[in-house]
Amino acid sequence: MADTSRTDIRSALSNPGGWKSLIIFFVLTLAWLVGFSSRLFAVIRFESIIHEFDPWFNYRSTHHMVENGFYNFLNWFDDRAWYPLGRIVGGTVYPGLMVTSGAIHWVLHALNIPIHIRDICVFLAPIFSGLTALSTYFLTKELWSSGAGLFAACFIAIVPGYISRSVAGSYDNEGIAIFALMFTYYLWIKSVKTGTIFWSSLTALSYFYMVSAWGGYVFIINLIPLHVFVLLLMGRYSHRIYVAYTSFYILGLVLSMQIPFVGFQPIRTSEHMASAGVFALLQAYAILQYVQSKLTKSEFRHFFFFAVMAVAGLVFLAVVALTWAGYVAPWSGRFYALYDTGYAKIHIPIIASVSEHQPTTWVSFFFDLHILVCVFPAGVWFVIKDINDERVFIVLYAITAVYFAGVMVRLMLTLTPCVCVLAAIAFSKTLEIYLKDDGHKHSPQESEDKEKNDKYYDKVSIISLSKSMNGRGGARSKSKKSKSSPGPMQVSPLLVDSGDGDRLKEVGKTKKTKEDKQKEPEGVGINIKSIVIVALLMMLMLFAVHCTWVTSNAYSSPSIVLASYGHDGSRNILDDYREAYYWLRQNTHEKARIMSWWDYGYQIAGMANRTTLVDNNTWNNSHIAMVGKAMSSNESAAYDIMRQLDVDYVLIIFGGVIGYSGDDINKFLWMVRIAEGEHPKDIRESDYFTPQGEFRVDAAGSPTLLNCLMYKLSYYRFGELHLDLRSPPGFDRTRNAEIGNKNIKLNHLEEAFTTEHWLVRIYKVKDLENREPTGEAKKRGPPKLSRKGNKKRKGSIKHKPKIIKGKKPSSSKLKKSTKPNK
Amino acid sequence: MESVYKLPYTVLLCPNIKLKKPSWVRQPSAMVMFAAVLTSYFLVTGGVIYDVIVEPPSIGSTTDEKGNSKPVAFMPYRVNGQYIMEGLASSFLFTLGGLGFVILDQTNKPSTPRLNRILLLSVGFISILISFFMCRVFMRMKLP
Repeated sequence: MADTSRTDIRSALSNPGGWKSLIIFFVLTLAWLVGFSSRLFAVIRFESIIHEFDPWFNYRSTHHMVENGFYNFLNWFDDRAWYPLGRIVGGTVYPGLMVTSGAIHWVLHALNIPIHIRDICVFLAPIFSGLTALSTYFLTKELWSSGAGLFAACFIAIVPGYISRSVAGSYDNEGIAIFALMFTYYLWIKSVKTGTIFWSSLTALSYFYMVSAWGGYVFIINLIPLHVFVLLLMGRYSHRIYVAYTSFYILGLVLSMQIPFVGFQPIRTSEHMASAGVFALLQAYAILQYVQSKLTKSEFRHFFFFAVMAVAGLVFLAVVALTWAGYVAPWSGRFYALYDTGYAKIHIPIIASVSEHQPTTWVSFFFDLHILVCVFPAGVWFVIKDINDERVFIVLYAITAVYFAGVMVRLMLTLTPCVCVLAAIAFSKTLEIYLKDDGHKHSPQESEDKEKNDKYYDKVSIISLSKSMNGRGGARSKSKKSKSSPGPMQVSPLLVDSGDGDRLKEVGKTKKTKEDKQKEPEGVGINIKSIVIVALLMMLMLFAVHCTWVTSNAYSSPSIVLASYGHDGSRNILDDYREAYYWLRQNTHEKARIMSWWDYGYQIAGMANRTTLVDNNTWNNSHIAMVGKAMSSNESAAYDIMRQLDVDYVLIIFGGVIGYSGDDINKFLWMVRIAEGEHPKDIRESDYFTPQGEFRVDAAGSPTLLNCLMYKLSYYRFGELHLDLRSPPGFDRTRNAEIGNKNIKLNHLEEAFTTEHWLVRIYKVKDLENREPTGEAKKRGPPKLSRKGNKKRKGSIKHKPKIIKGKKPSSSKLKKSTKPNK
Repeated sequence: MESVYKLPYTVLLCPNIKLKKPSWVRQPSAMVMFAAVLTSYFLVTGGVIYDVIVEPPSIGSTTDEKGNSKPVAFMPYRVNGQYIMEGLASSFLFTLGGLGFVILDQTNKPSTPRLNRILLLSVGFISILISFFMCRVFMRMKLP
């Protein structure tokens, strides 16, 4: 029995390399599959639909590109947006996303697979999440070991911080940009390690893809120079770094300038100056190295120190001088807000108004990263403990990304991959220690496999030990030594990696020492070890549960279709947005101009196909402030603005009926603030608060608020609506208040359409009124109206007999019906 | 090379001063770096930047049905809001969890005696468990 099993196992395990790659392949495929399928909640619950706001623009321009070709897309002038200014789409967009999905569409159609571009757009982000997992695996493998790489791949596949931006349907730049980011970093590490032009050119190409995909490329072009700079400071300069950075910088610079939207920014803006400065510094350093070879040591030491200082100072002064002279643009607001955190709040309300630009609270960290946030410092510790050139990089990445994630919620996305990598390193290292005497792989997905393999390993090791007692094992171990590759039954192939040399050494030792080594850790007790392992696996399981739960509950809502759940678990779909947009598409003139707050600009353009005044590409602050001013002035002042802007319809979102908190009244203060920034004389934020400094919509609210256009449009006819028996009519469920102004009369607008749950309300802006009626006309008016009203009132019964109190009605038929009234 | 290097000194007289790199400027050790990283991590995950920008109170308070005001440590049901103390408490837990892993690694040094090893192991292990489960409890409070 023992013999047969032994031969079986030996033949099966005879090729550890094969096992290793099979397991790696298997785990990576699983990670891809899991990552893909856990992002499909929204598609399964609702339908294959584009989510939220920005994706609608991306979808619309992708559609335009597929229909009209790439060059027409680059030259596209969109007159449907930013009326009356229009928008040059080709020059103001990162085209990587559209080109990617367009290319997939083209390939599939070339293979005669007819698939609608919308489906490609919906499923692009989940597919790319698999690629992200792959590149994270490669990055971690370069940094530590492939075991840690598998961990990192599994983490990044399901971690909520990344899922939040890459569920099916959220067709946004970040979905592909994180892949490009991780892949660029992997190639950079590779080129630092090898120091060949080949790898650094690949880095530059990948960087080019990143530049074409997302504005976050600035993070790369600052982090890589920082890495080089810190390596110089640490005295780790080498020719490899020189070759890698120089070729990457030049190629990357030239390539990034090919994107129309980026253009000359890389040589003209402050965000990119650090990379240029480090480039100059590196050249100086290399020259000094050359000089060093010509000078004596003592001479050089002084010369070197001051020369480096002088060059660094010179570079800095040059940048400052160029900025001052106007050749280099200073930091743009968005980036500046990252350094001076209070800046946006005071100066640029439009940046501060976006919810994803808010500073991060601790819950977001734990919510998005769960256990990884606890393990992350341990990963940093392991990495710092035995540092080398490429590990400096991940530490720098960690420090910068943690800071940025703290400043803005949306930058949690750049932190997530780094946390995954470091947490994977920590887990891998810890499990390596605690699984040592068992000696096998440690990927979370394969706990079952693991157990099976454990048994085998144990059996084999017992057998081999007994053999070694007999003296035959000595010969075998010798042969193993000569092979200098790990034996299958000693240590798992996965554990033995280039990551740390001492493990390799250990494997090379003879059986006898290995036996001793195994005995020593057993001092802790194998039971305790297994308890630790089981607990860690439990945590990983809870992590997976949490990820799925968060994905399904928090990040899988399309936000165009809302769902509410009744007490019995039944589901109500609120499809008001699409109802309203479809109404616009069908019932308004093709050239009709629709005013709404900028959040809904892309959706109106994408779904209703109508002209908008402002949209989510918030490039023109004064235009947005104009709309904000119209919304926050009283009706007649707003009417003047709307006439100036040629507005035909006004669209607002109102959540008071269903208790939807993301409506326009809740965003209203931002409209006021943005309007105040541009028109401080007409709009003052303090007018919209009560004297106590509260923002309230009920009767105690400030009169300015109760008479402004947004308030009137939101609550028009709302005072008549009795929602609930327990609450008075006109009770706003979102703000839990009875509204203060119940009889709202509109003079210059009229209600055009209100959706089923009052979520979207559309008003038509009336044309200029006829001249005021003269006195005579006024006199003649009323009798006409009353006559009409008497005869043709809706729902009245013809020949209805008049009932006069105290008199008998004439017909018998009526007697019956009126009897109960007596 | 020598002549180029000497060129300015034909005109200038070398002043006789000694410039020394100040003794405190040296490359910090790995552990100092780690401590710095950990401290900043502690602060950032605690939402200090949020505290600076939004300026929430350190501890909130509510009034119960009798009209007494009582302190509330956690801003309930809000994911994007916090009080200062709760942020610091939970980031302390994050850091504790990280240190637990580090301690678990320390147990494996061959030189530690058996008793210390078991003690270290239990301390590290317990701190991981505490931080993890406390964080879960805290999050439960915050989620609607």
